[in-house]
Amino acid sequence: MNNSTKIYLLLFLVSLTIISCKKKDEYHSLDERIHAETRTGANGGVNSEILLSDKNLMEITEGHHTFLIPERKGELTSYSCTECHNKPLKQIASSDIKKAHWNIKINHAGSEVMNCATCHNGNDMNNLVSLTGKKIDFNKSYKQCAQCHTVQFEDWKGGAHGKKLAGWAPPRASMTCVNCHNPHEPSFDQRWPVRFNSEKVQERKDGFEFK
Amino acid sequence: MSEEKKWYNFDLGFTKQTAKTGTCGCGKSEGSCGSKQQPKTTIQKEEISEEAFFEAAVDASIGEERHKDGFDQVFEVKMDRRSAFRKLTASLLIGAGAVNTSCSITAGDASKEKAQIDWEEQFKGNYKLMTDDEKEATVNRLMRSYELRTGKNLSMTAENAKENVLFGYAFNISKCQGYMNCVSACVEENNQDRNSQMQYIRIHEMKDGNGFKFNDADDNYYHEVPAEGHFYMGTQCFHCDNPPCVDVCPVQATWREDDGLVVIDYDWCVGCRYCMAACPYDGRRFNWSKPEVPEKEVNKNQHYLGNRVRKKGVMEKCTFCVQRSRKGENPACVDACPTGARIFGNLLDPDSTIRWVLENKKVFRLKEDLGTEPKFWYFMD
Repeated sequence: MNNSTKIYLLLFLVSLTIISCKKKDEYHSLDERIHAETRTGANGGVNSEILLSDKNLMEITEGHHTFLIPERKGELTSYSCTECHNKPLKQIASSDIKKAHWNIKINHAGSEVMNCATCHNGNDMNNLVSLTGKKIDFNKSYKQCAQCHTVQFEDWKGGAHGKKLAGWAPPRASMTCVNCHNPHEPSFDQRWPVRFNSEKVQERKDGFEFK
Repeated sequence: MSEEKKWYNFDLGFTKQTAKTGTCGCGKSEGSCGSKQQPKTTIQKEEISEEAFFEAAVDASIGEERHKDGFDQVFEVKMDRRSAFRKLTASLLIGAGAVNTSCSITAGDASKEKAQIDWEEQFKGNYKLMTDDEKEATVNRLMRSYELRTGKNLSMTAENAKENVLFGYAFNISKCQGYMNCVSACVEENNQDRNSQMQYIRIHEMKDGNGFKFNDADDNYYHEVPAEGHFYMGTQCFHCDNPPCVDVCPVQATWREDDGLVVIDYDWCVGCRYCMAACPYDGRRFNWSKPEVPEKEVNKNQHYLGNRVRKKGVMEKCTFCVQRSRKGENPACVDACPTGARIFGNLLDPDSTIRWVLENKKVFRLKEDLGTEPKFWYFMD
């Protein structure tokens, strides 16, 4: 190999390195960019603490996820239940007095599947009860729902189901099941959309008009 | 004759009409423009009819505006070439007027200050090139100007993109029920024109079993929702990582910020609407008329690149509520959604919920093959 070939080879290699060098801030795809620029815990110094400061929150850990949910007992109008339910349900039952929870209707699965006692324990009204008779705290009522709604539970833990309380930045605070769903009638009703664009109808009928 | 033409002529029957009236392209009804002088050969006739067709089309769209006097043309009109020149002159006059007022001894302090602000605003640079001090200065001017005009205060910021933040959005098609609370919240948050009922978000009602067929979808339904046999999906600006709208802007009035938001400098935009044509997702809106928001309904929490009140003839679009998101809040649509179909967050934070959705749900984007890399994903339960 003579000298000039060596020089050419060297030049070729050098130029190849220069060409193949990626320009800063240039990626082949968004996915590549996301993975290259990922920084754990860095959110540009933004956090949601101020937005969450007026909320009464509690931290929970489920699987790999640790996040905040709103405290529940303080929101319940007649908690604690034992204020009235000081004796087991059977003993205070009577037919001549006005019923206390007359306004609650159960529209949740069918009556073969669920009744009041599926979630409430007549002997321990201050807590919920699991399908196997274990105690579930009202503050962790999502555990009650998760017994059947396992898929939704997985999505909720990860953040695909449900809403955040405020803000995208950490700390993560998510609403829990009962913040959107009424546990006694959990499905949403049909209703009218909140908006109708009459200009759009006009434009599509008559063509666009200057104003 | 037809061998001469390389294009197809669409005859709307204007040909005969123009032969009678003899109008021509220059707008004069008689003499001297030339196009009418030799109507002998057939080829020439063809030309006349095309021009006349154009004329008729222009007349149909802007009609009597062409006969208005100069002042009306400048201040009320939709443009033709002449009024565009006049408008340019008017813009210079603002500058001249400003000098005049600010030098005058008779003008009041307020009007002097206003003139000074108008002057500086008229000749400020592109926001993208401004230093932080310059950004601060223009924001302060705009706030002061609003105060002088309306007597009310507003808060406007020029907050820059934060480091290690890249905004992304996910939309759950199984959850959306078409209630349109997002649309309402967006209009109120972003001070969109109430007269033309401008909306950044569209909710498309689609038939089950037909897939995404935007042609058959209805984005302006009014009946109880969710309607049986239908599903709903929303579109808005997708804040592409490789945005075609940015590439086509001839004046660089729109660009991609470091946190991924595609934004517009409303004071630099010339209103050519190239970006509107380039966007494959119908994400951009144009102010055909002066946007009007009742003073009471104006959202006073503003960002220079976000929801500050726009003017006539500029583009606007969803900014992921830059005035909110840079402070750590969710965009208004996310907070307003009653079904939790909208998920927003930082793509660069591996612990964020948006990342969990992208990594654990089956997500897709619209027109992915275009290589626009939208930062807006759809998924199902």
